[in-house]
Amino acid sequence: MDPAGIVVEGVRRSFGSTHAVRDMRFSASPGRVTGLIGPNGSGKTTLLLMLATLLAPDAGTIRIGGIDPVRDPVAARAIIGWMPDVLGSWASLTTRTTLELTGRLYGLPKPRAAARADELIALVGLGDLADRPTRVLSRGQKQRMSLARALVHDPSVLLLDEPASGLDPEARVDLRLLVRSLAAEGRTVLVSSHVLAELEEMADDAVYVQQGATVDPDRLEALREGPRTWRVRAEDPAALDAALAGRADLDEDHLGRLVPVRDEAEAADLLARLIGAGVRVVAFAPASGELERTFLELSKESRA
Amino acid sequence: MRSSVLAVGTVVDLELRQRVRSTAWYVLLGVAAVLLLSVTLLLLATAGIFGRDGGPQTVSAVVFFVLLLGTLVTPALSGGAINGDRDAGTLATTQVTLIRGWQLVLGKFLAAWTAALAFLVVALPFLLIAAAFGGADPAVLLTALAVTVLELGVIAALGVGFSAVISRPIFSVVTTYLVVAALSLGTLVAFGLGGLVAPVKVTNTSVFYSEGAFDADGKLVRPVCDPPVVQTYDVPSYDRLWPILAANPYVVLADAVPGRFDRTGSPVDAFAALKVAERGVQVPIARTSYHSDCDPSRDTDDQRRPESVLASTVPTWTVGLAIHLVLAVLALLAAVRAVRTPARRLARGTRIA
Repeated sequence: MDPAGIVVEGVRRSFGSTHAVRDMRFSASPGRVTGLIGPNGSGKTTLLLMLATLLAPDAGTIRIGGIDPVRDPVAARAIIGWMPDVLGSWASLTTRTTLELTGRLYGLPKPRAAARADELIALVGLGDLADRPTRVLSRGQKQRMSLARALVHDPSVLLLDEPASGLDPEARVDLRLLVRSLAAEGRTVLVSSHVLAELEEMADDAVYVQQGATVDPDRLEALREGPRTWRVRAEDPAALDAALAGRADLDEDHLGRLVPVRDEAEAADLLARLIGAGVRVVAFAPASGELERTFLELSKESRA
Repeated sequence: MRSSVLAVGTVVDLELRQRVRSTAWYVLLGVAAVLLLSVTLLLLATAGIFGRDGGPQTVSAVVFFVLLLGTLVTPALSGGAINGDRDAGTLATTQVTLIRGWQLVLGKFLAAWTAALAFLVVALPFLLIAAAFGGADPAVLLTALAVTVLELGVIAALGVGFSAVISRPIFSVVTTYLVVAALSLGTLVAFGLGGLVAPVKVTNTSVFYSEGAFDADGKLVRPVCDPPVVQTYDVPSYDRLWPILAANPYVVLADAVPGRFDRTGSPVDAFAALKVAERGVQVPIARTSYHSDCDPSRDTDDQRRPESVLASTVPTWTVGLAIHLVLAVLALLAAVRAVRTPARRLARGTRIA
């Protein structure tokens, strides 16, 4: 395993009788964006607090860039950038001052901290608001300031807790491009979110968490092999229905007909058959993203 | 070493910028200035009426007033230093930087102390006005200021300590106020009641002239006395309770200042007056006293000159200041413990981010 990334093995953490994290194991590699996916209360934030050196695990081991954050938190902090889910800011200070002071807390000399603040303000696009107190920032603007704060010391490992919540669509695109470019520079990026569409476009790898435990990769593999629903829409829905007649497993929603297929080859066959039958298909695509499907399948399984 | 100093300096800078230098703080400073002005003018005016040299009295009264003001303001400035950040979600983002826990606590303490000292700076012109009226001793003024500076530091440390240990700012501020009240007023109450708990028996022997010693006009003609009258009664005893009094910041202040007395042995300022009173407490009450009209040379004498009381007793301020400094250090150590990361235990209801 590459020591530069994040390696988590058998990590557990309880608060009194609440077992927030029961058993988590996964790894995240440098140069890749790893999505941490799970419902609210599944232990994502507790895990990130442990990775960010704030909480000690009850059991298990964590290595960040080869460093044990429990034994040597200061060395770990030097390479970790953490963006919390709580949007705290020094309300009366400006974004620029916040970033400068954060830089100085990371040990940057004053002029370097000031220059770094300028770079980051440009990077996250807060130029117009940089010299206003952070209390006037909107939620989305605070998210961007928070991301900039996590990047102050040019960390090689980024922990982003719900970075996309509260962002408008344009800011989301910006965030995605920024996160991708940060990973392209060789950083390890771990992004927790329950906005799956967001992660779908951003993440290379996915770690699923359920009730405080990471989901076994074998189980994910099995889910991936199950049938998958594709959505089909045609210029003339009646012609489409006629071409699909005889199939008992059809469904529909407001966007089109939903057809289960086993794999991509079968989907391609289906499309060819529809075209061959003269149906003028205008949309033919998986009904849900890969992450969303897996997430929903998992919740269905655990409810069953 | 240098980087540690810089790190603490950054925390102080941050604290002063975001917490202290607010409009409310400037308003409070203004209010303090107005109060001090009125108190100083009032004291100078009344000192004039009594036709006395008002300088030393006014200086001591103004210093006591500054200490009162400081002890009232400092808990508010320091009592939310750490849990306030936790509430605002900015403690964790500071803890993940390269700042160590002790640097964070020390920086917050120094910032709170600095903010409290601003009130002392506002008071300086008024102290100088009072001193300018004459008779004020620079040694008295400097010692009084030094002790006030230290006492405000102690309260700042207590506030920072409670703000780390108690999860909600309102409770830590109130707790700091309660401790200040316990030291300022509670010590007096405890001292007063404590003396009643263990009274001592005092035997008083009096020998008076007999009836036949006087003529019809009440003039002494024949110095003969009756047999001695012996009375025994309980008196509250305070001589072992003085350390309670020593924990009082006002006592520490008064006791640390060099006592100044005029030729008749009267204290020239409020410091000296309080000092004689609290030092006298250390002297055990005489278990027996004797008075004779016929042989006054055998009378016990409880009239002692203030200088001799001061010379024969323990300097209370050393004990008091030691108590306060120990409390302050304990508070800061508790704070360092509470902000230690990675955290193993969390207080109930604590949100770490």
